[in-house]
Amino acid sequence: MINLLLLPAFTLILIVFIIPIIRYGWISLHSFSLATNLSLIPNQFANWDRLLNDSRFWVDIYQTTRFAFVSVFLEIILAMIIALTLNKHFNNRGIIRTISLLPWALPTTIMALGWRWIFNAPYGPIEQLIRILGLAELNILSNPNFTWIATVIADVWKTTPFIAIILLAGLQTIPKDLYEAFKLEGGTYFDSFKEITLPLLKPYISLSIIFRLAQAFGVFDLIQVITSGGPAGSTESIALYAYLNAMRFLDFGYSSTIMVASFILLILLILVINLSIYSGKKILSTIKL
Amino acid sequence: MKIIKIILSFLFLSSFVELDSKLKQNRTKKEAVEVNILMPAPFEESTRNLIKKFNNKNDKKIFVRVIRGPMETETVSDLAISNLILNSNQYDAILVDVTWLPKYATAGWLYPLDSLIDKKKWDSLMLGAKKGNSYNKAIYRWPFVADIGLLYWRTDLIKSPPKTPDELIKISKKLQSTNKVKYGYVWQGRQYEGLSCVFLEIIRGFGGNWIDNENNVLLNTTESLEASTWLTSLIKNGISPESVTNFGENESLQIFKSGDSAFMRNWPYAWAELQKDDSKVKGNVAITTMVAKKGITPTATLGSWGFSIIKTSANKEETFKVIEYLTKRTSQIELFKKYGYTPIDRSIYSNKILNKQFPILKFIKSGLEIAYPRPETHVYAQISNVLQRNLSSIITMQKSPKEGMYDAQSDTLNILDSVGGF
Repeated sequence: MINLLLLPAFTLILIVFIIPIIRYGWISLHSFSLATNLSLIPNQFANWDRLLNDSRFWVDIYQTTRFAFVSVFLEIILAMIIALTLNKHFNNRGIIRTISLLPWALPTTIMALGWRWIFNAPYGPIEQLIRILGLAELNILSNPNFTWIATVIADVWKTTPFIAIILLAGLQTIPKDLYEAFKLEGGTYFDSFKEITLPLLKPYISLSIIFRLAQAFGVFDLIQVITSGGPAGSTESIALYAYLNAMRFLDFGYSSTIMVASFILLILLILVINLSIYSGKKILSTIKL
Repeated sequence: MKIIKIILSFLFLSSFVELDSKLKQNRTKKEAVEVNILMPAPFEESTRNLIKKFNNKNDKKIFVRVIRGPMETETVSDLAISNLILNSNQYDAILVDVTWLPKYATAGWLYPLDSLIDKKKWDSLMLGAKKGNSYNKAIYRWPFVADIGLLYWRTDLIKSPPKTPDELIKISKKLQSTNKVKYGYVWQGRQYEGLSCVFLEIIRGFGGNWIDNENNVLLNTTESLEASTWLTSLIKNGISPESVTNFGENESLQIFKSGDSAFMRNWPYAWAELQKDDSKVKGNVAITTMVAKKGITPTATLGSWGFSIIKTSANKEETFKVIEYLTKRTSQIELFKKYGYTPIDRSIYSNKILNKQFPILKFIKSGLEIAYPRPETHVYAQISNVLQRNLSSIITMQKSPKEGMYDAQSDTLNILDSVGGF
């Protein structure tokens, strides 16, 4: 009976996830481009061979991973601060909570366009501020060594509220009497955060990390709008490269190979993160006891 | 019982859907042939009036429906490609950018227009407008607007525009040193298609080419090295702002419009923007062709739009009638007056009244005469992407011009080799 109840969910996953990824895998073993008149012609592992020797792919993997890890790291820290603040009792808390969610509710393309103008040189507000302070021009979107930081800032601004909401939900599950007992024993606020909040929030933190890493690894619209992958290809992400190959170059064979390869790498990454998080599970259970 | 009710109401509703679609079909069959055209959003807006007139006038035999695409050029192509790949037969025609044509034609999506075209009408087109419509000896596109790269300059600062790259630098330095302007020259340096357009004009201005008529790739030559070194020197010498490496058309326009730059490279659309009330340079702007070394004819990159009929369309003749209407002489004049769209009919440029009313026509004509298309190959997107990446590396000082141009040459050759040439 239980199996039967799972059927609708399983069918959905099969249609929107499993079948497409299998099809991608199948296409990655074929030439499928303008050169083949857009028909599938088996080419064994030629696409995979090309991928392994494609320095652009590996540079993009590095750039995407850098973007994902740095953004998610900053987001977790900021979201924690926000969640702890929003969990306190203060006037108009409901309104403040809603407002703090706004960046996440905005469509990525629109907010990315906004950030492109914020970072604009010489007229953007950041450059204006720097001029008032008497510093040299920043030109963050024109310097291949720093432009990726601009994309991280935009991403952090947009998605921190998402993590904050997950963490806030987690904070609300922690019983108040735990803190009271801790206080009676003479523990400080910082100690209670370390001994109670953090361990009990761990499942929520790990959930956020996995959610966000998977999302950040597939970043596309934000980069496309702010930099189009430039300057000098310094912000190109894997998804952008796969998109270029499919939609601009009409090379679906190679594009699928990139997608499948990044899918495999992402699965490996999440496995490693899961293992490292749940290795600390024992500590968590002792605390709960 | 409940289940039966649900099934019954479902059947009842679905019969309506069927009826509605049948009614629609009958209506179209009896009354008018429906022609569906996909256009980027700005063109959908500018042609709205013409379409309305057409739908009211033509005895209701043809009904045109314009599908409003996205604003951004390449996103429109993404939408078109997604439809064409799935063979969804949604469009009869698409407004096609000059760089998409070889790709679409190779994919077999476009219908050759040779049999539908009246030779007299073809001959009445400006030479520049005739370019970029054919591939493998067949015409696949009827031109709608011809776009060309132009050099905008300030008449309140100088009496005559620079003709050579050296002159541009010299004049800029002089104006900057006397604090008349903050920057000398703004252009499109962002890693995107605009950068390829800028470079084509400069490399040809230095006597070289991107890919010549015999299909030789010429990116690793003295001329290309000179051209890329010149672009870099603009940034190094402060003639162009450092941020130019992330400038698209709008960013360049913003600076020039604020009166902060003496020169700007842009498309004809900028003219109308510069004449608006919020423009600080209103009335003080003129246009000319891009700079070129002494003795070398300057180049204007061709960036035109035109209508292509989709191969699977069931109404090709009717579609072509609509295209003829949208591109006829009076439509061109209307669109030029209202939106500054560059006309394609030769006779418009010799019209005395129009020339008097719009002195810009004369300059657009000289630009159209030297218009040059980007390489016509189905792998254009790939080779342009390679060029953009390497040029971006050069102007952001990540690679030396020599290194960058060498890489651009070898990467382009690799792409061409992998598909067996042009």
